[in-house]
Amino acid sequence: MKNIVIGRFIPGNSFLYKMDPRTKIIALIILMISAFVLRGFMNMFIALGLILLLLLLGRINIIRVIRGLKPLMFLLLFTFTFQILFNETGPVLIVFEQEASWTLHYSWLNILAVVGVVFFWFFTRRFVRFRLLYLVATLVGSIALLINLQLGYVFNTGDLTIHQNAVETGFFIMMRLIIIVTLSTILTLTTKPTDLNLGLESVLKPLKYIRINTEEMAMIIAIALRYIPTLLDEANKIMLAQASRGVDFSEGKMKDKVMQIVSLLVPMFIISFKRSDELANAMEARCFVPGNPRTRLHQLAWTYADTITIIISLMALASVITLRVVGINV
Amino acid sequence: MNIIEIENLSFYYQADKPVLKDINLTIKKGEWLTILGHNGSGKSTLAKLLIGLLRAKSGTIRIDNEELNQNTVQSIRRKIGIVFQNPDNQFVGVTVRDDIAFGLENLSIPREEMIERIETYAQKVSMSEFLNKEPHALSGGQKQRVAIAGILAMHTDIIIFDESTSMLDPKGRRMILDYMKTLNDEGVTIITITHDMKEAVLSDRILVLKNGEVLKMDTAANVLKDKITLEKSNLELLLPLKVINRLEEKNIKNEELRSYLWQLSLTG
Ligand SMILES: Nc1ncnc2c1ncn2[C@@H]1O[C@H](COP(=O)(O)OP(=O)(O)O)[C@@H](O)[C@H]1O
Ligand SMILES: [Mg+2]
Repeated sequence: MKNIVIGRFIPGNSFLYKMDPRTKIIALIILMISAFVLRGFMNMFIALGLILLLLLLGRINIIRVIRGLKPLMFLLLFTFTFQILFNETGPVLIVFEQEASWTLHYSWLNILAVVGVVFFWFFTRRFVRFRLLYLVATLVGSIALLINLQLGYVFNTGDLTIHQNAVETGFFIMMRLIIIVTLSTILTLTTKPTDLNLGLESVLKPLKYIRINTEEMAMIIAIALRYIPTLLDEANKIMLAQASRGVDFSEGKMKDKVMQIVSLLVPMFIISFKRSDELANAMEARCFVPGNPRTRLHQLAWTYADTITIIISLMALASVITLRVVGINV
Repeated sequence: MNIIEIENLSFYYQADKPVLKDINLTIKKGEWLTILGHNGSGKSTLAKLLIGLLRAKSGTIRIDNEELNQNTVQSIRRKIGIVFQNPDNQFVGVTVRDDIAFGLENLSIPREEMIERIETYAQKVSMSEFLNKEPHALSGGQKQRVAIAGILAMHTDIIIFDESTSMLDPKGRRMILDYMKTLNDEGVTIITITHDMKEAVLSDRILVLKNGEVLKMDTAANVLKDKITLEKSNLELLLPLKVINRLEEKNIKNEELRSYLWQLSLTG
């Protein structure tokens, strides 16, 4: 439990590590907007190349970044497939002719029905004997639902046609997601959680005009960061204590699992309440008054390098907008 | 000069269960007072009242000639600090440096001075090498030392230790006791709350609380040999004093041995 990392900060040493967290956050936002404006295969690949260069210059382990993209795979595949199947604008690229012609129906209701079936399968599969068969049956059932549940009629005469816009849009969405996730991974890999907190507090300061006190929020996050390892230790101790009384945390049916979680959660809640009460006393005793002005030990120092970074990001945004306006979408 | 004056102080959490009854107490500047008492006798409650975490139901508390009330509580908290029992639940910062800084930030001390004070007081409790360490990399005794540094850095005149050594190992406890001694020699007024007679013996005076009332208030030497009072409040005599009592019971008179044992108990 001790080695659970909070955030995904990996200690290292490069210009990215030395950069002011505010700069990194602002640059991230600007570059994210740029990614949304960007169009064109070439442009996308150039952007990806630039990010690769940033990773190399910043001495960031690329494998780690790719690992960070893994959870995204499903979403990427899904959006791409969705575009291919349902986007019917632009010139036709390929036609897959089909012998028998089915009519698939899709509307929110149909999709909801299918999602329902999948959920049902997910929760009931553990009680079924022949799981593979059950999976196949579920898939067939879903397709049957799309064919027969004629609630919203939209799609398909039988041949699967792939349109140019489908490929393009699908591809662009994929690339944009990859770019955005990679950029935010760079931020979290190179910024300590406490610095990130400090930077966010500073960047979000204008929120005080809508009466959101970022300083207090930052204090709460800082204390949470401070107490996560302590509470994890505590959870570990409780689990050991419960295990010594015969609670088995590794196995069991649904009902046992619930009992295990309760046996961990209840003491954790009680301990946390007691802790927070004592902590509040300790903070007050040391003259903490919520909302009062305080000086700060950690002050962020803006340097030329930070200004230059922001200017470069703005230039990236400007050029992306120019490309879009001029119409260079290759 | 009296730095703390308590007059007719009473307190309860529930009206039908008084926790402190009509306490009168004065503490001199630079004095070291121990508060002894069994569990639930109201020691922690008294400490919380002194630092304004609880409000008295009746009676007055004056600290450094300033009466404690809603308006003065903030300025009084600058003069009086408290180290609680559980080292983990009073460590506010993510690192040792941040934790010592916490109180200073609250006092709006300029950053340069803050850095100076952090260095000074971390050194004072021998935690200079640990400034960048996180709390889970520290022992309980080290965390308590950080807490002391955090209070000292705020330039408080009075420090309350509410069973601050009870969760520490003997070595950690010894070290905290040494710091108490040093601080007291330097003029800091110290109030220790404890069950540990070895701790009590170091102080100037001892207050024995029982069920929220003052059972006895005398010099350390007088209270420690007061078998009856200590028995009444479920406290155990120090071993050398037990031996003295036995010798007296058996009518064995050996002045040399007696004074040696007495010496032994006073040095802990
Ligand atoms: N927050 C509270 N609410 C209600 N009763 C409390 C609270 N804190 C303490 N008490 C009660 O007040 C009495 C004195 O408690 P305390 O001052 O903590 O004693 P001590 O520190 O001497 O062990 C005890 O009987 C305790 O149960
Ligand atoms: Mg207590």
